[in-house]
Amino acid sequence: MSRPGWAADAFALLEKDFRAELRTRVAMSAVGVFAFAALLLIALAMATLKDARSAPLLKLPDPVSLDLLSRLSHPAWDPISKLGLLWVLLCFSAFAGLSHSFLHEEESGTTTALRLTMRSGSVFAGKYLFNLILLVLVALIITPVYMVLTGMESGSPLVFLCVMVCGCVGLSAVATIVAALAAKAHSSGALYGAIGLPLLVVFLLMLLNAGSALYAPEPGLIATVRAVGGLLSYGILILAVSALTFQFVWEE
Amino acid sequence: MSLAERQVNEVVKPGQCPPVPCTLAAVDLGRVFGGREVFSHIAFQVGSGQVHVVTGPNGSGKSTLLRIAAGLLSPSAGRVDVVWNGRSLDGVDRRECLGYVAPDLTLYRELTGAENLRFFARLRGVAMDRPALVHILSEVGLKGRGRDLVGTYSSGMRQRLKYAFALLGSPVILLLDEPTANLDAEGIAMVERLVAAHRMQGGLTVIGTNEPREVGWGDAVTCLGVGN
Repeated sequence: MSRPGWAADAFALLEKDFRAELRTRVAMSAVGVFAFAALLLIALAMATLKDARSAPLLKLPDPVSLDLLSRLSHPAWDPISKLGLLWVLLCFSAFAGLSHSFLHEEESGTTTALRLTMRSGSVFAGKYLFNLILLVLVALIITPVYMVLTGMESGSPLVFLCVMVCGCVGLSAVATIVAALAAKAHSSGALYGAIGLPLLVVFLLMLLNAGSALYAPEPGLIATVRAVGGLLSYGILILAVSALTFQFVWEE
Repeated sequence: MSLAERQVNEVVKPGQCPPVPCTLAAVDLGRVFGGREVFSHIAFQVGSGQVHVVTGPNGSGKSTLLRIAAGLLSPSAGRVDVVWNGRSLDGVDRRECLGYVAPDLTLYRELTGAENLRFFARLRGVAMDRPALVHILSEVGLKGRGRDLVGTYSSGMRQRLKYAFALLGSPVILLLDEPTANLDAEGIAMVERLVAAHRMQGGLTVIGTNEPREVGWGDAVTCLGVGN
């Protein structure tokens, strides 16, 4: 039996990670608890908004409240804001759970065994795929619930799907490399946020840009391709840079 | 596939390590941690069929030296040359033809012993069917415990599992740091048998220890921390 290639190694690591995750449910618990709490808060907030809308006008004491109700009925709660909040939710969910991929290896001391048997490229690919699949699963569960709760429109379904897929590709790459850096620095919490913030700010801006094309009244093809392409390019850029720099993080 | 990977695939065939000459040489080796010099100017050479022991007081750098030899840590000065079949293997390449047992090595607690071995065998390209698995577990005294989670193992059993991990692919180099830590008398005898068998097969072994019994297994000794 000859030594397998890097892709086979990556899939072996992916399989091992899912087997371990199904037993320990560390990442799934972290993501699940955060997502549930966030969705619960959004549901409560939406219920409050609905109550305010359905309240009889006679009960409103003064013009100030009328103005407030008007703002609540027509808030700056447009589809792009809803998309932004959805991605904030996904980002925090991802960062709550995906960090475990490396932190757990580092904290339990299993990185030595991995380094003895795997090339850095395979490790990155395996961990990235694990994070990507986990994030896609989380997005598949959170997004429909969030859309129902907030009445968020999808715009063009195809473009919406592209935005979501490209977002997951980029966010997984950010989460993976930041988790690797934080795990190696042995200061997971603070460093995770500090390193992740600059990468995430750009990522969220690109997402909102894509959202503006998604929800434009008359979306032009070029504008849509440019916006979604920008998001995809950023995702691929982060993925490529992460893969190239991972070797230096992994080796010492 | 990178050039290094191609070279490794040509030279290193895990599971089929041929009895070809192999040497491991530490050349003017030194390591500094945060401004503190752990050791310096270390030099020794180990050849096929030889056992070299590294000894010294706590903190003298035995584990560090073995990690450098394994390619897990870079030296601050000097180098470790591993030549196998006439070709030099760099730090990353050499990991594929060595077995490593050390306190800092941990296997997955959330997997069973058998799952751990299957996973690492797959990464090393070693066929691990049921008979092979039973054989390797028997060899390290874990027969019948392969289906148990490693998290439920005792420290001695975990040490035995590390030997099963290290022996995957019959590596030509064995690096053993505190090789009998946590082992009972039977386990110590098992390690002694493994080291002797490895020597007979032409493999080279480097042991980091303070145990007089294990020092006696060596053909040569490097003592750290006494002026190197």
